[in-house]
Amino acid sequence: MIKTIDLYKDYRIGKVLFPALRGIDMQIEDGEFTAIAGPSGSGKTTLLNIIGCLDVPTKGKVLIDGTDINELSAKGKAELRKTRIGFVFQTFNLIPVLTAYENVEIPLILLNLEPENKKEMIVTMLEEVGLGDFINRRPNEMSGGQQQRVAIARALVKEPSMVLADEPTANLDSTTAKEILALMQELNGKHKTTFIFSTHDQLVMEYSRRTVNLRDGRIVEDKTKTRGK
Amino acid sequence: MKLLNIAWRNVFRHTRRTLITAAAISVGLSSMIFMNTMMNGADKMASRNIIDFETGHLEVFAKDYYREEGVFPLDTIIDNPISITGNIEGIPGIKGITPRAKFQASISNGVDELPVLGMGVDIEKDTEVFEVANSVVEGTYLQQEGDLVIGTNLAEDMDLGVGSFITIITKDRNGTYNAYDLTVSGIINTGHPLFDRNMAIIPIGQAQTLLAIGEGITEVCIRANDEDNLAPLKEKISEVIGNEYEVFTWKEMNAAIFEISGFKRAGQFMIGLVVVIIAAVGIINTMLMAVMERIPEIGTLKAMGFKNSGIVRMFIYEGGIIGAFGSALGCLVGLLISAYLVHVGLDFSSVFENMDIVYPMKFIIKGEIDYVNLIYVFVFGIVVSVLVSLWPVRKATKLEPVDALRHV
Repeated sequence: MIKTIDLYKDYRIGKVLFPALRGIDMQIEDGEFTAIAGPSGSGKTTLLNIIGCLDVPTKGKVLIDGTDINELSAKGKAELRKTRIGFVFQTFNLIPVLTAYENVEIPLILLNLEPENKKEMIVTMLEEVGLGDFINRRPNEMSGGQQQRVAIARALVKEPSMVLADEPTANLDSTTAKEILALMQELNGKHKTTFIFSTHDQLVMEYSRRTVNLRDGRIVEDKTKTRGK
Repeated sequence: MKLLNIAWRNVFRHTRRTLITAAAISVGLSSMIFMNTMMNGADKMASRNIIDFETGHLEVFAKDYYREEGVFPLDTIIDNPISITGNIEGIPGIKGITPRAKFQASISNGVDELPVLGMGVDIEKDTEVFEVANSVVEGTYLQQEGDLVIGTNLAEDMDLGVGSFITIITKDRNGTYNAYDLTVSGIINTGHPLFDRNMAIIPIGQAQTLLAIGEGITEVCIRANDEDNLAPLKEKISEVIGNEYEVFTWKEMNAAIFEISGFKRAGQFMIGLVVVIIAAVGIINTMLMAVMERIPEIGTLKAMGFKNSGIVRMFIYEGGIIGAFGSALGCLVGLLISAYLVHVGLDFSSVFENMDIVYPMKFIIKGEIDYVNLIYVFVFGIVVSVLVSLWPVRKATKLEPVDALRHV
């Protein structure tokens, strides 16, 4: 369970103080499939980064399963990211010199697994995202949708408790975006991994069960559908 | 897949950049190897010339005779050589032993007169220690009293050939001037400038008469079986010859030359170092570019839980791989140049022809490869590459993951 308590974040750009988050209180249960929506500049990415231990709040707390992440050292945060959090980025962020297989392998390098187990985990994961035939392709030999599938496989392969996806479909055409969303929804159902997205894409919101709307760093709406699409 | 593997792939992301950087390192290292080969070759040639023509491995003098290089006093000589040579001959590990009598003299062809170093040698025994007899290029070696052997350069300077008559003039032990007429029996080409330019070699008996020293000689020259282990032999000799005489190794007598060569080595190492520093700047630049263009990737890796140490390691491997390439290439090129130097050599004779030379060798330098040095240079190249990579890589560690991810 993720809980944010009165979360504030200010950015200083030159002499101007820019408030990105102004008091976010929310709770996300395990296994949720939640969209953080809002126009650009509303604080979506900032919120995701703070939950993902990539950024620190100016004020307030984030509790992940009861642990206050502010109290973790840089190493402790790295440890948390290593084991419990998977990231999916708008620009995919695959390592261009590595194949799909090797990109998915990267998070596992840190986990000291048996080579045999590792191989099976990677291949299974790539098959789950529909890239069973593409394991030896490099990013520049794949379409955007395929690259994002690799990124999703990379985020999920270590079986994290949550996947944070920052605008995962923003660089994809709508057909591909739908496929990716359907895939994430499927994986959410199957692995019971919490998925949190940021998006300003109506399509993503349609797919999510819960949509938290942000505007100017505040939650303006938080609605949960009884059933996802 | 390990970090090393990722680093390896990253190195070939920009093949041309990697190759240029590696080439810069290799130029620095190959020039270091080249210089080392030259210096070794020069030192080896100088050593061989000293041992094979000038001193042998060890020399025994009367006490206080050997004061400094180039002084040949007749007041402190070995008056009774048999008394010590007999003792020395019995020591195991000695290959040959021969007396010599050196003296300052001048020779005249009737027109010109030149100062020379006169040297009386035992015609038979000298060949057991020295290579002079094997260096005759014209005529024959000393056969009898009245014969004279000179070097090619002296023959040229004095316009002498085999059969030419010359007069040798010297002051004997009592300060009286003596002169002898001699016939040039042979001309030698040793490669040792002292012998080729300044030496007049005559039979020892004749020298003794000329100098009025009776049976006396200036030194006993000794060739050892094992030239790398002269200290114990020196000790044994010094035991049997007693206090009136002293023994020196060839190295002790030529310390100044090897001191010079030490300076040259230091100088050449500095030159090599400068080239390597230039190459190092190339590595720094390459690594800085690698870090800068990969900031979002660094952010991604950090987001996945990579710690700074892992990221630093990845980049250091990269620097190390480029360094290893450069080092391998540098060693290969250095080895090829060295092989040329070993087999063909470099001809400096036109540069040094008219200079007074203190270094006992001719200026066609043949190289001598030091394989241990080659390994050092290889490792040095990699170590330098890794060390200078640290600075650019530090930049990567200072980035917060969120800033790195945002970086475009």
